[in-house]
Amino acid sequence: MIADNPLLFVVILTPLLSGLFCLGFKLKFSWIAPILSSVLLLVTVVASLMLYFQTDTDGLLSVPWFYLNGQVIAISIILNKAVLTMAVVVIVISFLVHIFSIGYMADDQNTARYFAILGIFTFAMLGLVVSNNLLMLFCFWELVGFCSYRLIGHWHEQPAAVRASTKAFLLNKTGDLGFLVGLMILWSATGNLEIEALALVETSWLTVAGICIFLGVIGKSAQFPLLNWLPDAMAGPTPVSALIHAATMVAAGVYLMFRLSPFFTNTTLEVISYVGALTTLLGAIGALVQFDIKKILAYSTVSQLGFMILGIGIGAAEGGYQHLLHHAFFKAGLFLGAGAIMHAMHQAIHHNNSDIDVNDIRNLGGLFKQMPVTFWSFIICAAALAGLPLTNGFVSKEVILTAATENIGLITTSAWIVTLLTPIYTFRLVWYLFAGKSNNDLTIREVPGIMQGPLVLLAAGSLTIIFNNSQLTSITNGMMDANLHGSSVVMYASLALIALGLLLGYTFYRKKPTTSWSWLSPQFYIDQLNAGFIMIAQFISKFTTLIDKKWIDGLLHGFAYLQVAFAFVIHWIDQYVVDGFVTGSAAASRGLDVAIRSTINGKIQSYLLWAMAGLLIFILWIIN
Amino acid sequence: MLLTLLIFIPFALAGVALFIPARFTTSFRLLSLLASVAQVFLVGNIIVAYEFDGGVQLVEKVSWISLSLDSWGQLQADYFVALDGLSFPLVLLSVFILLIATISSWNQEKNTKGYFILLLILNGAIIGSFCALDFLLFYVFFEFMLLPMYFLIGIWGGPRREYASIKFFLYTLLGSILILIVLISLYLSVQSPGNNPVHTFNVLHMQDMNNFIPDAILAPEGVGQLSFFNFRQWAFLLLLFGFLIKLPAVPLHTWLPDAHVEASTPVSIILAALLLKFGGYGLLRFVYPIFPDSAVYFSWLVGLLGLISIIYGALNALASKDLKRLIAYSSVSHMGFVLLGIAAATVEGITGAVYQMVGHGIISAMLFVLAGVIYDRTQDRLIDNYSGLATKMKSYTAFILIGFFASMGLPGFAGFIGEILIFFGAFQSHLVNGLIPVWMPIVATLGLLLGAGYYLWTIQRMFFGPFSVKNSTSELTDLNTREYLVLVPLALAALLFGILPQLLLNYINPFANDFVNAWFAQFLLP
Repeated sequence: MIADNPLLFVVILTPLLSGLFCLGFKLKFSWIAPILSSVLLLVTVVASLMLYFQTDTDGLLSVPWFYLNGQVIAISIILNKAVLTMAVVVIVISFLVHIFSIGYMADDQNTARYFAILGIFTFAMLGLVVSNNLLMLFCFWELVGFCSYRLIGHWHEQPAAVRASTKAFLLNKTGDLGFLVGLMILWSATGNLEIEALALVETSWLTVAGICIFLGVIGKSAQFPLLNWLPDAMAGPTPVSALIHAATMVAAGVYLMFRLSPFFTNTTLEVISYVGALTTLLGAIGALVQFDIKKILAYSTVSQLGFMILGIGIGAAEGGYQHLLHHAFFKAGLFLGAGAIMHAMHQAIHHNNSDIDVNDIRNLGGLFKQMPVTFWSFIICAAALAGLPLTNGFVSKEVILTAATENIGLITTSAWIVTLLTPIYTFRLVWYLFAGKSNNDLTIREVPGIMQGPLVLLAAGSLTIIFNNSQLTSITNGMMDANLHGSSVVMYASLALIALGLLLGYTFYRKKPTTSWSWLSPQFYIDQLNAGFIMIAQFISKFTTLIDKKWIDGLLHGFAYLQVAFAFVIHWIDQYVVDGFVTGSAAASRGLDVAIRSTINGKIQSYLLWAMAGLLIFILWIIN
Repeated sequence: MLLTLLIFIPFALAGVALFIPARFTTSFRLLSLLASVAQVFLVGNIIVAYEFDGGVQLVEKVSWISLSLDSWGQLQADYFVALDGLSFPLVLLSVFILLIATISSWNQEKNTKGYFILLLILNGAIIGSFCALDFLLFYVFFEFMLLPMYFLIGIWGGPRREYASIKFFLYTLLGSILILIVLISLYLSVQSPGNNPVHTFNVLHMQDMNNFIPDAILAPEGVGQLSFFNFRQWAFLLLLFGFLIKLPAVPLHTWLPDAHVEASTPVSIILAALLLKFGGYGLLRFVYPIFPDSAVYFSWLVGLLGLISIIYGALNALASKDLKRLIAYSSVSHMGFVLLGIAAATVEGITGAVYQMVGHGIISAMLFVLAGVIYDRTQDRLIDNYSGLATKMKSYTAFILIGFFASMGLPGFAGFIGEILIFFGAFQSHLVNGLIPVWMPIVATLGLLLGAGYYLWTIQRMFFGPFSVKNSTSELTDLNTREYLVLVPLALAALLFGILPQLLLNYINPFANDFVNAWFAQFLLP
């Protein structure tokens, strides 16, 4: 059986091993970490490709994890071509990011920690990809969230990075609450957490469960309204952004939807498609008005993810999945390209002691001549993003567009609008970066070879010749039988729109206008909403503290004072009334007086005495 | 013999310690360590002897008190100790935590003799309480814990230790009295089965409705009414609140933050990891099994108290400025989950409640060790007085991350398993037995979000950002060997039970199945 293939364990566990090794390095030896982990990842790449070509039948490996109420909860690993394709893409992208990071993070103090978490991140994503059990998948899902939290906040001295990482984790957690409720529904309905168990849930609950699980996806894949952690997450190192945006983290949500959508009800799918449609529009608008190179890319990811979700929602799950795989290559290429530009700029600034914001595309320009390799790889990836022919973006976009055109409505409209907007903002980005002349006199040099390599490979991967539609169709054959070719009418229409978009882009941005349209950016308004929630939570928490201090403890202290006051009254009576009448028995009275007074001085013995006396009375009462 | 040894070795060693002059301070540390090591060996033997499906086992039963009271019959209490799937995981936890607490107390200089003798007495009393199946025996051990704890907080605590210790004492005493009232009423109502019935404190007998004397005050049939509720329901409420003080559940929780803030690190560890567990243990051992009919009646209330504890505790943690107070309130929140799981009374809920108790025991111990690390160095626990500790104390920050994320239920740590099982159980309740409504677990998930909120916010303020420390000039050194020796086993234990839950579920599953299916199910309303 294919699932017994030892290669499987090599593939899944080597990145974990790499991560754990790197954790162990002291600062002095931390230079080994990048090399060791890259070598281990290379091993993983080879192993995963071997596994991929050896796998021709579907397999399911299931080991009991624990038993609950007589039911087994298993560690189940599913192996088929569709799953393995994702695994290979994750590993390849992660490997290239490792390689790129060797150059990019060369001056960093905490490289060992960086590579350690990179390894665990890859492991978590792989675990998520091969899981067939939703609880197991949820575990890896959370682990992915944790790793991204640490990586976004890698430069923990920078408050912005720390804030961004906290925000990312909390928004993800918000969505995960929905996922959790979805798991609860599934468990109580079927007592089984395998993905196939969804088919056994009755329709009304299934709709709710689907929407709940989709809430988790909203968080993880940065859909509306939990989308604004992703642009903020740019505060992390750029290779991390490449990984998060391409193969891990945000990809996890879309991947999950691809796996689960066959079981979902139509109502759920409708909700999903509307959320996707809204997100893809917001993302495209955001990308259009930003000036920060990484934020433009981040919003374009939001838009593309929304597009995939939209595709899955309208029934083109294969198209959405395919676009996810294709997107992984060109988006990783774009981010690493941006990273290369920033790295080169930083080096130049370092030599020149000037102080400019390298992230602002208005400060860049004319890099075409200075960084030719980066330019060419960037332009190919950008073409794929815009959906130009001969690139993989073109192929997968057609599939979703064709499906979207079948039902006219808001969703179709937004899909077409985004098809027009994407080339506009892509053109704008490329034009600002590479065309014309820069407004500074830095001498910028091309990045070292170790960073060029991944760029070239990713650009190559974004071309249809290398990684094309027909291959994927055959790959995913076992799992899906839909025809993945777009219709020709749609193809011509979209080509026309893309051409129009490029033309419009040229018209608007030829002179590199610097007017800010940032009020259009969706982030601002959602952030306000978040801040509102946080303020409410803080207000309530102050109030509950007040309840604790003033009311509960106050009541308690009130009782204590009452007791003391009562004791004083008794004391007074004792002294003046009892003493006045019974002068002869003064000694006995004083004994009583001492006994009562002792109740007010906090002596434990006296409390015990009182308690015992009370009990005695109670016992006598109960016996009678 | 195993259990008796386990319980009385610490007492015996405490007795030995009494005769050693106070100036030989090391000898007291060694005696305490010796007790813990001996207990670890004994637990090893118990693991071998224990049968997963064996029910109540390792029984040791000797007549303890036997008094003839003329017309009121025979007073009969036994020395009756045994283990089952509920108590064994908690005994395991206790032995482990007490060892950790001993190591963590190693540098205790103030009145070393008294400190370690109290620690040993506490040790024996805790284990004894978990093993006792005679209600009176349990009560004696239970009360025995109270005084050492009172002195450990009151003498070795922080600046406001007197206030905290008296508050702790009064609260707990109130709980004890509530329990005692029910204990006596139960004793008068229950007799042992067989030809020669005598009044009994045997908990297993109390669980059988046939053993109640007809017309006794707590007899199930013909039970008397007192205003809103009948006597059994009143008894249930008294016993419930007696144990809820220990858990602690809102609004009976205010002793906990004060006690924790003032207690020294090892005492905090024992308090959070073990003493709180008597709340959940008491509910599962006494309250629910003895009064299942009333438990069904009040399940909504119990669930609501659990839910309130989860949210309210988390909100208070969010507002806490003191690191230790924050962790104390997070304990309130996490023990609320235990209550929610018990209220659901489904197999998943009960399993999860026991698992959560063990998980919280390990993780909260770790958190209090971590809070102690910074306090030892600067005598200051205010979160706002620190920033960027990660740059100076790398290993400490790493363990803080492990501890905090374990506590907020990151998969891979024991807390996650407990919480997810409780959620499953609580959600399932509306389908299986209708005890708690479906919105309770859904609202309870907010506790997870708030948990992530207060922990991440603390990390953000204290550990990340540019380095600065207010009000302290002392050198900030990273973890020392003793702290590693404490933290590493705790972290590994939290990981072990998070990755291989079956290790514990082997014990808990049979208990939960018996509890729910064989026992509790018959009292559900049709």
